Amino acid sequence: MDLLQNNFSTFLQGFGYTLLSSVIALVVSMILGTFFAILQILPQKWVQKVGNIYVQVFRNIPLLIITFFFFLVVAKVIPMNGFTAGTIALSLYTSAFIAETVRAGILSVNSGQMEGARANGLSFWQAMQHIVLPQAFKIALPSLGNQFINLVKNSSILAFVGGLDLMYQGNMVAANTFDTFGTYIIVALFYLVITLPLSYYMQHLERKLKHAA
Amino acid sequence: MEKAKKRQFGIIATIVLAAVIVLGLMWATATAKKNQEHQDTLARVEKLGRIVWGVKADTKLFGLMDTKTGVSKGFDVDIAKALTVQLSKQTGVPMSAEFVPVSSSSKIQLLKNTNIDGTVSTMTITPEREKIIDFTKQYFDAGQSILVKKDSGIKSIKDMNDSKYTIIVVVGTTAAEETKKFAPKAKLLAVQDYATGMQALKAGQGQAMSTDNAILYGFATENPDYQIVGGTFTHGPYGIAFDNDQGPMIRETNKALATLKKNGVYNKLIKKWFSNVPGLDWHELEAK
Amino acid sequence: MSMIEFKNVEKYYGNFHALKNINLEIDEGETVVLIGPSGSGKSTLIRTVNGLEEIQEGQLLVNGFDLHDPKTDINRIRKNVGMVFQHFNLYDNKSTIENIMLAPRLVLKRDEAENKKMAMALLEKVGLADKAANMPSELSGGQKQRVAIARSLAMQPKALLFDEPTSALDPEMIGDVLDVMRDIAKDSSMTMLVVTHEMSFAKAVADRVIFMADGQILEDSSTEAFFNNPTEPRAQQFLSQVEHH
Ligand SMILES: Nc1ncnc2c1ncn2[C@@H]1O[C@H](COP(=O)(O)OP(=O)(O)OP(=O)(O)O)[C@@H](O)[C@H]1O
Ligand SMILES: [Mg+2]
Repeated sequence: MDLLQNNFSTFLQGFGYTLLSSVIALVVSMILGTFFAILQILPQKWVQKVGNIYVQVFRNIPLLIITFFFFLVVAKVIPMNGFTAGTIALSLYTSAFIAETVRAGILSVNSGQMEGARANGLSFWQAMQHIVLPQAFKIALPSLGNQFINLVKNSSILAFVGGLDLMYQGNMVAANTFDTFGTYIIVALFYLVITLPLSYYMQHLERKLKHAA
Repeated sequence: MEKAKKRQFGIIATIVLAAVIVLGLMWATATAKKNQEHQDTLARVEKLGRIVWGVKADTKLFGLMDTKTGVSKGFDVDIAKALTVQLSKQTGVPMSAEFVPVSSSSKIQLLKNTNIDGTVSTMTITPEREKIIDFTKQYFDAGQSILVKKDSGIKSIKDMNDSKYTIIVVVGTTAAEETKKFAPKAKLLAVQDYATGMQALKAGQGQAMSTDNAILYGFATENPDYQIVGGTFTHGPYGIAFDNDQGPMIRETNKALATLKKNGVYNKLIKKWFSNVPGLDWHELEAK
Repeated sequence: MSMIEFKNVEKYYGNFHALKNINLEIDEGETVVLIGPSGSGKSTLIRTVNGLEEIQEGQLLVNGFDLHDPKTDINRIRKNVGMVFQHFNLYDNKSTIENIMLAPRLVLKRDEAENKKMAMALLEKVGLADKAANMPSELSGGQKQRVAIARSLAMQPKALLFDEPTSALDPEMIGDVLDVMRDIAKDSSMTMLVVTHEMSFAKAVADRVIFMADGQILEDSSTEAFFNNPTEPRAQQFLSQVEHH
């Protein structure tokens, strides 16, 4: 408990950065993931290929390497700190998984939904936006929830590039107090403060949508 | 399943899960406690006939992992080997030396958990650390310095006391703490190991890397565009560390160290590792 | 003036020749029923009319625009041609009234109050005003199909395509849907192309009957002529099968 009291502001700062990075990465990866999911279902073969390559690249490379790539290589051209580099890497990495999840969601929406909308006069994008995607997200919700929780935990990658997040501050506290065990238990509890409400909220959303239909 | 049965199943599952978690935590605390119970290191190593040394894997000249063999090489490693030989002679118990790579942030925990018996790992003797572990007398004289790009215009740590500068340090080193005192306005970037630190410096994530001069010399040799400036601004000799309250082990090791310094083995190792470092007067490091 | 015109149209699915040299003209306001055995290409033909299927050769003019011309904006044609499917294809994530109001709002930019008024009037017309707030999953098949028809009508199309609108329905639901269709057919300006096996509906409502088999149009004659003395042996055979059913 002393450990927590003495280093509370440090933990809190780390918590703040972890939360900030997670929220940014969540929004960005949802947008990118949805975009690349749609690319992969467009009729043009080469567009599909582009979407597929993006997903394969970012899904199959360890997050740490993507992070170091931005932190050590890209930063030479476009200066960015560890927080930015880590958050970008986290967004791209997660977006590849979200793209796969959303694509599966879109494919499991009955093709009659798109046909009905097109025959009704809607453009492809209007049909996507108003009819197909809302249903796809609903189908994909449970596994999107998993992706979000993984995202929060994966944000600990920031610690490797001085991203000031919870894990980073935990490393510092552990190094200064020499109480590794206690420090990481506190760090774990802070992560739970984010992930538990998140998973509860996702379950709640799932239930709500199930009843709405 | 009917509803009542489902609910019953849910309750049982929850209880079982909670029980598993509670038992797991109890077991973890018990093990942690047991590990903290006092064990006499000297007695243990004599009984097992081996000393497990924690050494660095990422620090040129002191402990750098040879990627082919997976074995660390450097001054620290050689000192540990020489000490093991000397300790065997002193105690009359033949002992072998084993090596485990440790990082700046992990070594104290590994000592506490008795994963390693002792550590020779560029570890600065500090009062805070002395509270929880035991140090021998110093085996290497070092002080903190900074490594910068040759054309950076930075002459010393004082020049860097400005929020526009970022100084790269490694988590768990004394440099991480000390740097704040000498350049309080500068930003700190703490990375996991020296190799990443050097990469980050090259990528422009910071303008200087700070740690002990001895370690920085290793990087300066490898990266001719970078140089050490401003000399040392702290004095922080390295000691060999053991767990707390290891009087017998500390006594024996100090004795062994003194012997090595007297019989020339120590100076031979200094020459072996530091005679080729540009800009370093290695004779100053020799035992007098 | 002709609303829909096929000129030497060929359609392939890969190597499979699904529509063979189709020539067909449907005038504005006409009601045409398309019949034929399973797999003969009825759905394929009707789906080419609003661009759900592409044609490979020939000309297909809808409301004066050539569908085979890459410069033609397919969305503009779809505004004028509605379609009702065998499996309804209602928007599962929208309420009944939203199903009807969505396309006019997005595509025609119809004023919201006006849109709502028209949607309610259409629901009234198909006898489902009390189901405005219900989700599609809460409707019976026949109700769904009537909502689908209302949805098409909301766009105020010049032509309506029906692909077996009653085939997926329980027998007791079929009448309600056919009644609605009969109503629409009375409107003299609406062009209707209907694929159906309901011969009584064809006899009562159609101006013309077209018989297809193996991707070809075998017979194209007035309703009376078709039912009284079909010329094609395959049409005769088909008629005797469905009527003794
Ligand atoms: N997407 C497709 N790809 C390949 N072949 C197809 C496709 N759609 C239809 N076909 C083939 O084209 C032929 C005509 O099919 P179509 O659906 O137009 O028949 P139909 O007359 O509507 O039959 P039904 O009365 O059973 O609905 C069939 O042989 C069918 O197998
Ligand atoms: Mg069909």
